[in-house]
Amino acid sequence: MTIARYAEKLRVPICIVLVMGSWQLIYVLGMVPAKYFPSIFAIAVAFWQMLTDGAVISAWATTFLRALIGLVGAALLGIALAIISDLSPVMARGIRYVSDVLQPIPPAAFVPMAVFMLGLGPKLYAFVIILVTVWPPYLNGVSGLASVGAVQLNTGRMFGLTNWGLLWRVKLPAAMPEVFAGIRYAATISLIAVIVSEMLAGRDGIGFMIFKKAFALRTAEVFGLMFLVGFNGVLLNGLVNLLRRGVTGWHIRMMERHE
Amino acid sequence: MKRETRIALLGLLVPLAIVVLWQIAALMQKTPLFPGPGKVVLAIWANYPVILRELGITLLRAAMGFAIAAITMIPLGIFLGRIRLIGRVLEPLMDMLATLPPPAIIPLVMLFAGTGDWAKIVIIAYAAAVPLLMNTYEASHTIHPMLSKVARSLHLSRLETMRLIDWPSSLPMIATGARLAIASSLLVSVTSEMLLSTNGIGTYLQRSQENFRIDAGLAGIAFISLAGVLINAGVFRLEKRWLFWHYRDQRQSE
Repeated sequence: MTIARYAEKLRVPICIVLVMGSWQLIYVLGMVPAKYFPSIFAIAVAFWQMLTDGAVISAWATTFLRALIGLVGAALLGIALAIISDLSPVMARGIRYVSDVLQPIPPAAFVPMAVFMLGLGPKLYAFVIILVTVWPPYLNGVSGLASVGAVQLNTGRMFGLTNWGLLWRVKLPAAMPEVFAGIRYAATISLIAVIVSEMLAGRDGIGFMIFKKAFALRTAEVFGLMFLVGFNGVLLNGLVNLLRRGVTGWHIRMMERHE
Repeated sequence: MKRETRIALLGLLVPLAIVVLWQIAALMQKTPLFPGPGKVVLAIWANYPVILRELGITLLRAAMGFAIAAITMIPLGIFLGRIRLIGRVLEPLMDMLATLPPPAIIPLVMLFAGTGDWAKIVIIAYAAAVPLLMNTYEASHTIHPMLSKVARSLHLSRLETMRLIDWPSSLPMIATGARLAIASSLLVSVTSEMLLSTNGIGTYLQRSQENFRIDAGLAGIAFISLAGVLINAGVFRLEKRWLFWHYRDQRQSE
């Protein structure tokens, strides 16, 4: 039992050792040509060289900023659409039609057409990212606003809140935990959309860099950049969580007390 | 008229307004690079046999990738969920995989598997694997403790417990994972075709752009959307039919 408990405490290092160990084993046994499968050290060295070079930092900043701006825009637009849907059942149905049609379209499909309509600038990225990431916050917002309890609503009315006051002070705060679950999911999508758009638009950012390096067979650098992509995900998730603690701290504390 | 149908009909005004605005914007731009909905409809009429053929290729690939992921990841998820120690220890590994977006592995797979059919199927399988594994794992390690006790008092062996108790009781959550996985395998199949071009609807879109046929490209997108809507509706139907007991129980407990 004690071994089990230690194993659980040390699971993160265990996983890292496991991945690195099996990686190095494949490399040492030569199961895949080293050209395609460099050693961990080679990757670390290549990554370090790219970092000191400076090019990767600016590409990283470009990509991360695009994802962040897109996510913020999508979250705000999603909440706005959810509020509109909550006010009017007709608008709710109409927006639902649009989201049903647009949701299955991959971000990659928009890029080649949007390049001509919007150019290669920030407009392209804002359009593509918002178009694919707006739906999770919107859908969660709708269901969050709809599931506010009657007791809460009646309490608000008893305090003499108008319909707007009710929306702003009671319904919206109550829906926020669910909205944030949507925003978390949207964060993942926005990173994917940025990387894909950059690969296809082919001008700058991490996505473009990965593709360029892969075509040049600089495998170690491709792995290094992929690590950076994963890191972006962790970072964006951390930011969203921070904001969630600020906005819906009451809900998190309530859940913890219940446990 | 009933209130429901009136809302449904009035709701149609929203997409209609968007289409009209789009048409006005297109008329003001006066360039073939910004086609309006009218041009797109004409392009659909002119190109639908090609689009349907390419879409068929894409859907077949997506289905194969999804099937591979489902066959390997659902048993693995149940296994990791039931053998608690291994599952708990490997949890961070699953989280790491989840942070790596499928398109990011496209260049990598290209190095190993080239740009053929299998390269794309591997990428699709990876994209479908993550939600399937996560949901199956989550479902089978949060199973109601009562069910485990039932299994023990019936003297079921470990394998029998997995087959008779864990599998059906995790089904609703696996179904959610499958729905996510189907959506993401469709998305990724188009994306991978656009980047590793040979055939399929993604390549069709790419080629339309290269020929400055934006209207044909948008027609292709319309078909992708239609396929997505139909598949989603079909999956929803199947879920309702196969998991009727789950929905029934849920309604009763409310």
